[in-house]
Amino acid sequence: MTISRRQFLDLCKQSAAVLGLGAAHLAQLEKALANPDAPTVIWLQGSACTGCSVSLLNRISSTAPATIADVLIQVINLRYHPNLMSLAGQPAAAIAEDARARGGYILALEGGVPTAFGGAACWAWSADGRDVTLLEAVEALAARAAQLLCVGTCAAWGGVPAAPPNPTGVKGLQAIALRQTVNIAGCPPHPDWIVWAIANMLTGTVGALDSYGRPKALFNRTVHDLCPRRETEEARMYGQDGLCTEELGCLGPHTVGPCPVSLWNGRQNWCVDANSLCIGCTNPGFPGLYLRRNTDGHDD
Amino acid sequence: MATTTSPITITIDPVTRLEGHLKVEVTVDVKDGLQQVVDARATGTLFRGFELILTNRDPLDAPDLTQRICGVCPVSHGLAATTTLENAAGLVAPDNARLMRNLVLGSNYIQSHILHFYHLALPDFVSGPDMPPWQPSWAADKRIESQSADLIGHYVKALEMRRKAHEMGALFGGRLPHPPAFVPGGFTTTPRSARIRKFKSYLNDILGFITRTYLPDVRLVADHYSDYFAIGRGPGNLLAYGVFDEDSTGQHKLLRRGRIQGSSGVLPVDPNAITEQVTHSWYSEQSNNRTPASGSTVPQYPKAGAYSWLKAPRYAEVPCEVGPLARMTINGDYSSGISVMDRHQARAEEALKVAEALQVWLRQLQPSGPVYRRYSAPAAATASGLTEAPRGALGHWLRISGGKIVNYQVLTPTCWNASPRDSAGVPGPIEQALIGTPVSDLDQPVEVLRVIHSFDPCLSCAVHVMRPAEGARIFALGHYHSEEEVHEHGRSH
Repeated sequence: MTISRRQFLDLCKQSAAVLGLGAAHLAQLEKALANPDAPTVIWLQGSACTGCSVSLLNRISSTAPATIADVLIQVINLRYHPNLMSLAGQPAAAIAEDARARGGYILALEGGVPTAFGGAACWAWSADGRDVTLLEAVEALAARAAQLLCVGTCAAWGGVPAAPPNPTGVKGLQAIALRQTVNIAGCPPHPDWIVWAIANMLTGTVGALDSYGRPKALFNRTVHDLCPRRETEEARMYGQDGLCTEELGCLGPHTVGPCPVSLWNGRQNWCVDANSLCIGCTNPGFPGLYLRRNTDGHDD
Repeated sequence: MATTTSPITITIDPVTRLEGHLKVEVTVDVKDGLQQVVDARATGTLFRGFELILTNRDPLDAPDLTQRICGVCPVSHGLAATTTLENAAGLVAPDNARLMRNLVLGSNYIQSHILHFYHLALPDFVSGPDMPPWQPSWAADKRIESQSADLIGHYVKALEMRRKAHEMGALFGGRLPHPPAFVPGGFTTTPRSARIRKFKSYLNDILGFITRTYLPDVRLVADHYSDYFAIGRGPGNLLAYGVFDEDSTGQHKLLRRGRIQGSSGVLPVDPNAITEQVTHSWYSEQSNNRTPASGSTVPQYPKAGAYSWLKAPRYAEVPCEVGPLARMTINGDYSSGISVMDRHQARAEEALKVAEALQVWLRQLQPSGPVYRRYSAPAAATASGLTEAPRGALGHWLRISGGKIVNYQVLTPTCWNASPRDSAGVPGPIEQALIGTPVSDLDQPVEVLRVIHSFDPCLSCAVHVMRPAEGARIFALGHYHSEEEVHEHGRSH
């Protein structure tokens, strides 16, 4: 038995009721019925760890779409996603090929694209008995996409797998597609940033990008500028509440991102509120040559 | 319905609803009147070279970087790396740190187990809603009729509960995935009473879901698919390094270390009995059968008989299954058997056991006690850290020289479970579990997916290039690059 879209909507409404969402939100859920042909999103994973997808699943917001279930039912048709889709094997690959033939979708990429060894460090799927590399799949799908979304620092610039010596020659999507990408940086990116990007790509309201392809609406000030601990005394070691961790090696002054206002995991915490460091995960050069040069504030 | 009367090979690539990239080839034939899998090969199809990336870096980078091996089990890598670094320096973290590590790790176990059952495995048994990404799907062998809408409702509820498990863990971890609070020397967060109260509130909610929804749903699926208690057994050898330290010695754990070989009782684990075999992997024979601590790897491709980038880890020459079923059986908490359904059942029961233990650890926190001791990495040391990811035994092995990492080896749970054949030609656990699996429709081999998914594979963890010997060539799939060329590529990027 396959439940209908209508029945599924009812189930989601029950879930929304549990979350204490109001009538206005439920009315928006109802509208989903009028739009069963929401825009297609094809989500590929390259040299990735799946952390960006896990982060997206953590979406919870007081504004619609409130949860990941709402994103899937209201906002997009997520036709290809390796972790969530039912189909496997050639029938799954055929869905991506069908979308490519139709064109006009958003291509979302999680993880960078390995280019060394002819791209063969990462295969997307087998087709007609042949191993198709992720590089081939991304080139083909990017060419017919309406817009390109980089989910996370790896997709945008390579990230951790591209750290020296970049053993598999990982590159970001823009370097492969040679088209502008919308880069939602972070390792992982905050779920609100990913949902913001998808929603605004659909309505053409992403606005200006910075020189690294990050939407200025999200990425406009350093973590340090926004940090509530900016003017406080310096912490001398980990585990000291309320103190600035710059002397311990916090990269907040050199990192653009809205973490101190977005807050993480239902606004429960974030890296500096945990007395830890910003390790600069939204930076194009992340992870650079060091992350934790000086854990205890002393060089002894 | 597509059937066959002679051996036919089916390629499933990609195997979806798991973490990372996996290709599986099964040969199906009619044997004893039943159309079934007669041979299987599992191939990891992504590698990133984490060991090469870690080499020459500051040892203090290891926890943050190794977490990025896997976004589903980053906490386990963070814990393995911090433990390894503390072992290298002979430092024991304060008790508060041990407890908060348990609390964050346990939160992630629960989110991972819920995610696995509802979002990765359940679509093999129940049809999802009539929209992407749940449709189209294979319609074969869907047996649950009247309660399937309930299960899909619980799929939605489970999205909420796994999210809450992450929010609970982030109270101490800082954020999830990729928590910043795991540092050698202890933990960065303090166990303030407000955080303890919030954690308790989340935990009550999650415990209710596990007892009233998750466990009954596993039983419901098991009732309709009871034949899967006799499908997917595998080699029958179980291995666990143990996890969740109950005291600062690390000797007493919530889930103990041990192994079971065939019909043996629980036997001790000697890490030196672990070797990695490469006869059917794309590595030179001269690197065959090394322990992870002495692992030196010389990639070689093409190579006759090889078909995977995974090496074949073996304990005293035998393949071992790792994961919740191994842990719960070795700990004496589960004894029904080894099969697809036993894996789901043991995983759900482990979620409950861990959730109940979280209540205890929460009470043991000292809100004003220390969380961190000053840590400096030694200039030279050799050390390891053994723990358990949600999906099984995880080990990190480290060598520091001149204050830098000179060798870092990671042996992950899916390396054990998804390993290729070893030097004796014995298939890995998932391969063995697949052999004998009935396949009713060649066009919809959902039975194969059910067996693979029961192991909760995590392929991003599994495939990584080991550090090659001096002057060795780093290879992948048809082309050779010298180490110098690869370094050059890295610099020009």
